Amino acid sequence: MILKLFFNTKAFFLRRKELKNLLFVCLMAGSVITFNSCKENNAYKEKLQNPELFQNSMKKLTDVIVYDIFSPPVASRVYMYPTIASYAIMQKAHPEKYNSLEGQINEYTNIPDPTDENINMNLAAIHAFLTISRQLIFSEEKINEFQDKTYAELQEAGLPDNILEASKKYGDLVAQHISKWADTDMYKQTRTYPKYTILDEPQYWKPTPPDYMDGIEPSWSKIRTLVLDSAGQFPPKPPLSYDLTEGSPFRTQLMQVYNEGTGTDQNKRDIASFWDCNPYVSHHVGHAMFATKKITPGGHWMGITAIASKKSKSTFDETVNAYANVTTSLFDAFISCWDEKWRSLLVRPETVINANIDEEWIPLLQTPPFPEYTSGHSVISRAAAVALTRLYGDNFAFDDTTEVEYGLPVRSFTSFIHASEEAAISRLYGGIHYMMAIEEGVKQGEEVGQHISKNLVTLKK
Amino acid sequence: MAIGDINNDGLDDIYFTANQTPDKLFLNQGGLKFKDITKESGIIIDSTWSSGVTMEDVNNDGLLDIYVSKVSNYKTFKATNLLYINKGNNVFEESAEAYGLNFSGLATQAAFFDYDNDGDMDVYLLNHSVHTPRSYGSSQRRQIKDSIAGDKFYENKLNEGISKFVDVTEGSGIFSSALGYGLAITTADINNDGFIDIYIGNDFHENDYLYINQGNKTFKESISSYISHTSRFTMGVDIADLNNDQYVDIFSLDMMPFNHDIFLKSGGEDTDKIAQIKKDYGFETQYARNTFQLNRGNNSFAEIALMTETYATDWSWSSLIQDFDNDGLNDIYITNGILKRSNDLDYINYLSNVDFSKYNQSQQNELELKLIEKMPTIKLSNIIYKNLGDLKFEKLTENAGQSPSYSNGAAYSDLDNDGDLDLVVNTINEPALLLENKSGDTSKNNFVAFSLQGNNDFKNATGSKIKLFAGGKEFYKELMVTKGFQSSSSHKINFGLGNIQKIDSVTINWLDGTVQTVKNNTINALNTIKKETSTKDKRIFKETKFAIADPFMYTHIENTFLDYEREYLMPEKLSTEGPVGVPADFNGDGLEDIYIGGAKNQAPILYLKQQDGTYIEDSKNNFKQEIPYEDVDAIAFDVENDGDMDLYIMSGGNEWAEQDASYEDRLYINDGNGKLNRLPATLIKTNGGSISTGDYNNDGYKDLFIGNRSVPGGYGLSPFSYILKSNQKGSFSIVEKIRIGMITDSHWADLNNDKLLDLILVGDWMPITILINKGNDKFENQTKAYGLADSFGMWNTVSVADIDNNGQLDIIGGNVGLNFKMKATVENPIKLYIDDFDKNGQPDPIIFYNFFGHNVPFASKDKLIQQLPYLKKNFLDYNNFSKINSITYLTGKEEKDIMEIKKITELRSMIYFNPGTTNFKAVALPIEAQMSSIEDIYIDDNSASKKIIFVGNYLDYTVELGNSDANSGGIINFDTTGNFKSFNYLPLPKGLNCRQILKINKDKFLVLVNNDKSYTFEITNN
Repeated sequence: MILKLFFNTKAFFLRRKELKNLLFVCLMAGSVITFNSCKENNAYKEKLQNPELFQNSMKKLTDVIVYDIFSPPVASRVYMYPTIASYAIMQKAHPEKYNSLEGQINEYTNIPDPTDENINMNLAAIHAFLTISRQLIFSEEKINEFQDKTYAELQEAGLPDNILEASKKYGDLVAQHISKWADTDMYKQTRTYPKYTILDEPQYWKPTPPDYMDGIEPSWSKIRTLVLDSAGQFPPKPPLSYDLTEGSPFRTQLMQVYNEGTGTDQNKRDIASFWDCNPYVSHHVGHAMFATKKITPGGHWMGITAIASKKSKSTFDETVNAYANVTTSLFDAFISCWDEKWRSLLVRPETVINANIDEEWIPLLQTPPFPEYTSGHSVISRAAAVALTRLYGDNFAFDDTTEVEYGLPVRSFTSFIHASEEAAISRLYGGIHYMMAIEEGVKQGEEVGQHISKNLVTLKK
Repeated sequence: MAIGDINNDGLDDIYFTANQTPDKLFLNQGGLKFKDITKESGIIIDSTWSSGVTMEDVNNDGLLDIYVSKVSNYKTFKATNLLYINKGNNVFEESAEAYGLNFSGLATQAAFFDYDNDGDMDVYLLNHSVHTPRSYGSSQRRQIKDSIAGDKFYENKLNEGISKFVDVTEGSGIFSSALGYGLAITTADINNDGFIDIYIGNDFHENDYLYINQGNKTFKESISSYISHTSRFTMGVDIADLNNDQYVDIFSLDMMPFNHDIFLKSGGEDTDKIAQIKKDYGFETQYARNTFQLNRGNNSFAEIALMTETYATDWSWSSLIQDFDNDGLNDIYITNGILKRSNDLDYINYLSNVDFSKYNQSQQNELELKLIEKMPTIKLSNIIYKNLGDLKFEKLTENAGQSPSYSNGAAYSDLDNDGDLDLVVNTINEPALLLENKSGDTSKNNFVAFSLQGNNDFKNATGSKIKLFAGGKEFYKELMVTKGFQSSSSHKINFGLGNIQKIDSVTINWLDGTVQTVKNNTINALNTIKKETSTKDKRIFKETKFAIADPFMYTHIENTFLDYEREYLMPEKLSTEGPVGVPADFNGDGLEDIYIGGAKNQAPILYLKQQDGTYIEDSKNNFKQEIPYEDVDAIAFDVENDGDMDLYIMSGGNEWAEQDASYEDRLYINDGNGKLNRLPATLIKTNGGSISTGDYNNDGYKDLFIGNRSVPGGYGLSPFSYILKSNQKGSFSIVEKIRIGMITDSHWADLNNDKLLDLILVGDWMPITILINKGNDKFENQTKAYGLADSFGMWNTVSVADIDNNGQLDIIGGNVGLNFKMKATVENPIKLYIDDFDKNGQPDPIIFYNFFGHNVPFASKDKLIQQLPYLKKNFLDYNNFSKINSITYLTGKEEKDIMEIKKITELRSMIYFNPGTTNFKAVALPIEAQMSSIEDIYIDDNSASKKIIFVGNYLDYTVELGNSDANSGGIINFDTTGNFKSFNYLPLPKGLNCRQILKINKDKFLVLVNNDKSYTFEITNN
């Protein structure tokens, strides 16, 4: 391992040295005569066309979101704004191909036009993406590091300074425009809205073991939606009424969680673990506490978007378009779901089971810290699947490798809807949701997804 | 580790336990020379996991035996506890099985003591647990027995002629569950009834246990009736008299850091929500800091670690209370340090990111080890709190010969018999420490040591009490050796005498009830006292009953509202200010009735006084429609001078924005027959604080001061308060409208003898404020001129009386007291910065205070980030956060640019003596009155010797500050010139959340309590 590293480093230095010499020769010769061998280095152009550039930026953002620990709804916001900025630039780059978002997305106005002909629009899109990302996450130096490295590589591949500077300038301008709009989405105000006060009645949500964290984002429904007219546009039907008498519908669903939610069936256990997507799981050993961090449910769908766009050989702009559609759907779906969660305030199965059925019962997955109904993963997975289906088709089979780096295996799906349905039912197998939250969550996600499909048209016909 | 004289040569020997290496036994050869006799003495040499060890004579043959607790029967740990019977000549025979003490489980330590006073040593086996706090679950789980983690109790049958211990856990009344995570055990006669009680310190969320010996071979767990709150991660404990009042006090250890940067990056107190959840699960209040339980002598304790500044010694293990410098005052020795600091928040959030489920068991173990390696470590110097008397302690560390170590178990003994107690400390991965006490080199303090020995009828003296009379003083100790952490100390008893030259007498209370007085003891020597055979003076013990207040018919019910779920950074609730009581004769029958206004959702009640002194609920007035209001203050006065008492009620609650209808004050006009009709007038709608009346313009009509408590949603901001002039027809006009502070109390009094009533105002973050009446409806703030410029406090109440009989009214202010987590002086005030730092339209109140010499933010990083999310970027990790030393460092804003800065410079409850000129003289109330907040004051000035009667405590601070619960109330007696004479506690239950004291009859008082019953009691004049 150490040996290999050494060689690589050596090779790198050699390359740098050669490059320097080459440059020196060109400069010397430039004033007199142009050699063939000193042709302009155009490798950067190819690099800038490569959608991997955007994929890598998105992956970096995911990594920082995991590191900084964002809750699922907040993470959906962190994904969305940078992506919208990139999309807006792509639209300016390809006005014949894409529609502007103005009039399609709430309170959104068109970004300024590019004025400098040196701007590379893909690079500007990356720059705007990273600039807004940096504002929304905490670990700025991680984004800085990535940006420096990315730009250095492009420069090494011949990117002229004037193009870089012009693109950065435009990217900054767009970022400013988008940030100004983002600033009015009530996020800042909701930071200091009241926390949820625990209600005594047994049907209401209570903080859950092991950390008994405060409920996450009780005022998320106040966040400005993108395509939905309001958080409450697609309310699911109310949950079954809390009733512990033998044979009641609620009790039946509760017992279903009790029986299925501990991972005794290996197949179901695999499904539940695959879709856990809990950004912060704590483990207690005596005084010591360890935390495990993972991608959020939204982050998982960003991974699927990456897989789909790569498999479809989407171009740079098509890749950005795919993410724009998915992040928009996720963002609105979270608001819709959180609206219901903090309206119905339904208690988690773990709380009811521990209090009434089995004090020792522990669900396979750690119960996340917010009310039960509806299931967030069900809602947002469906909404994202609808968006991806629209872009890549009904029977898009794929191998989902998103969780591999978090130590989980690959799972294969025949379609996006197939994946979203498995994500939904995984919450029952994980012991954290009743069946109704899954079924109604899927319906809610479908409605949100379809509404967005109809009302957000990015691709020109 | 254990210290004891195994060969009766007068020199204490030492046994060390070890976790992964063999235990060791060292024979004391004198002159602090020791010989390792482990092998030849028959001690088993293996590497099983030894935890605690105790030396006690279990078979009453006059030789100390050794009992070693082992961690076993878990994972790869295989062993049993070991009992080494001393066969004489420094030879031991392991006999645990024969004696029935071969327990195998998660043993911590054993305490041998005589629970049935039959002269032989019974034993409590303290065990810990491996459960994780994954689920707090119900506290009822402590009823479920656990075979390896549950504590055990064994009765010694020696007295019945059988050399065997019998497991009597079942039926003994002790808990034997996995919930108990026992780390500390010690024994003492807590309630002074002649039977030895047990204190168990449990780690994590389980309460500590206080087992009161019922005298019939059973115990009753009674922690909550004796103690208001305990340490949370209790690790070590000792019990001894720390203030020479002959009552034993309890000092237990936790892990709160004292180093400011460690403090800021360590997991500390529970969040307010988690504290609530634990409470709902049936757990008692616990704080992650040391606790100093001062025995009040009436089967209740006042916790005063904050006041004595002994609350933070970081990760602490052994607590040993002895007089280490022989000055006649017991000191406290504390060992601390941790090889792996697992509560480092950066470690938890950023370094420990591993998904264990991905790995198989052996990989998991490996990973766990790697993770453990990454944990930060901390070496600390052990600490001595030198007792300075009057509940003051001085912290000594390096200057008392302590150096950084990972210290653990510890024990004391005068190993070189030079009269002062030496210390032996077991450390992790390093050589043990033997600390020779050199205090004898520098001081000439005298001492006396005792060795107590039983006789044939009653063989074992452990548990005896010894009282020493000398120099006009009394000193008290109990002979018990299991104390600190996993250790037992010497059986010899040492008393420091200071410069006392002669001992008058010594009284021994043997456990069989006999009392023996010994005279002619030699100072600066060891005196051996053998139990006399006579059975004369055999005392019969019985439970002492203490006078306690009677419950009154009113119970206050506070509505659930958590202010800090809206205002994350506030240090205290402002929504629990009631109840309020107003004594007045409403129905004109010559008897003083009482109006009591309660919290929201509870209707006020008017109690009519009957001729026999009892009260009945008034049927004429129905206040049912008043339940949306929370009554916070009220006053009865004759508004229109028609000869009856009308009623002004101030509403509050802090639940809604200002101008909400529920804040509206109400004025009730008496129809002359005791029917109070609400005046249909629009009154102010604010979160009320205090109302008071006084005829400031001498027109014969009462004028008003209306002081407001807060701007709801804007903690720290000063709301408007008003001075209102009576228009003589039941209406009032505004004379002054001023933002003067968060008012809690007000008082009209003529301070300058100009026949015009002046106004005294108190509240939070403000000085005792004097508004001098200049006539013509003009008031002038003369706080500074009256010498009160440095009196910025958290004042709850103010009264006036001529305490020193000089003809001038003195001011008495009830403040938050010294038993408070934040400290404040004029030089180092607590500061409150108010500004909209994140420009979201909401004021952000940020508090800084001086924490052991460093300026630190009061709110945790998590709370600050909730309020000001942008801070997370600037202080990404806790290491960064721990460097914060100013508001500017935190927010980037200079002090001069901050909208408003408030401060606290005085925490003590005070008297400001009026010399007749303006410059008042500040004198603090005695220390007993500083143990809690003072909420209300009644001054008895019937005679020249004044009495201040106060009620205290405030249980509505955030968990970070903790409950002020050490003193429900007291009487301070003064002599005729205003000097403090004596203090008595009021006969109130401990830990009451008191709000008001009212005199309702000659010598009879009513105390109103938030969310609790109310009480009456009498004070007989003597």
